[in-house]
Amino acid sequence: MKTQSTALYILRLALTLLIITGVMAALLAAVNLVTAPIIAGLQAEKTQQAIQAVLPGGGEEIAFTDKTGTVSTVYGSDTGYAVEVAPIGFDGAITMMVGIDKDGNVLGISIISHTETAGLGAVAAAKTSAGENFRGQFVGLNGSVAVSKDGGTVEAITGATITSRAVCEGINAALACVADLG
Amino acid sequence: MNFKKQFSEGLLSKNPVLVQLLGLCSVLAITTSLFNGIGMGLSVTVILICSNVLISALRKVIPSQIRIAAYIVIIASFVTIVDLVLQAFIPDLSESLGVFIPLIVVNCIVLGRAEAFASKNGVLASAVDGLCQGIGYTVALVIMCVIRELLGSGTFGGGILNNGEGIRIIPEGYPAMQMVMPVGGFLTLGFVIAGFQWYTRHSRNKKQKEAAK
Repeated sequence: MKTQSTALYILRLALTLLIITGVMAALLAAVNLVTAPIIAGLQAEKTQQAIQAVLPGGGEEIAFTDKTGTVSTVYGSDTGYAVEVAPIGFDGAITMMVGIDKDGNVLGISIISHTETAGLGAVAAAKTSAGENFRGQFVGLNGSVAVSKDGGTVEAITGATITSRAVCEGINAALACVADLG
Repeated sequence: MNFKKQFSEGLLSKNPVLVQLLGLCSVLAITTSLFNGIGMGLSVTVILICSNVLISALRKVIPSQIRIAAYIVIIASFVTIVDLVLQAFIPDLSESLGVFIPLIVVNCIVLGRAEAFASKNGVLASAVDGLCQGIGYTVALVIMCVIRELLGSGTFGGGILNNGEGIRIIPEGYPAMQMVMPVGGFLTLGFVIAGFQWYTRHSRNKKQKEAAK
């Protein structure tokens, strides 16, 4: 008799937890049903804005080959390409769009998302004059880019150059990818 | 139920951050601008009220052996709901708080109130407790944010006022960047707690002296 009631009790514990989990899962599903399309729409809009910022007129998604592993998507048009890259910065990936014209010159860069340190690396993506100056110096560069500490022409945002190097790495990956496209 | 007592407990004598020292991870990490502080405070308040109400309503149904597991499921669900709603409707806030919204799941204030209050009290009292503790948390965050933002970035109201840039009080170049970095978080928290202790002790002593007269 005792063993049976223990078994029943354990069953009751499991069932209670199962019901709570089930109800909460249903609630989450309902919320997700409403928010998922809005979130997807916002992300698509953000990507479109980033493409427009670096490649006037935008472009269509095209096939590409990538040796570096940092390129995620390439958009192409008659005037050039917008390459989405995600190099690793100080604290995770820096997702950014690099615009490149048909001759392999950088048209501009736009940082979509990042988790760099506020006030230091985050300046790279900021809407301030310092951020715009940093991003502006890539315009017109070609071949491969590097910070001045590594013998290149790019003025880094901070002495540690971690974010600046990551941005350069992303741009180089984009340039190499476009060069392979021909 | 005593609303006034619960309110003063949440805000002062049992303030979740400054007295109970709960949820310090988020307090140290996100208090870099007023926008973050208010956003995080309100998110936690909403989650606290929802989880307190549901846990209180189910307190006689959930067997004590599995209560922690049940509480975590309930809290995690509300946190995910808030996370999704923020991503969909306030993307700026969601981006600036980042991983700290999902991390509210393991914020000990929420589980602490479930265990210490909601599992022993009625639904209405638990809702009020969630609100009061949430306000206490928000006030602590806002104090931290104002100090760190002023000293670290030299602005007030970053993310909200003046197109999100904040009102500049200290000219650019002078603020101490360290104050918005982790080290500034620890320093500010220490001073805020010390100041708060001084204030509560001071007012208690005053009351005792008056009573002695």
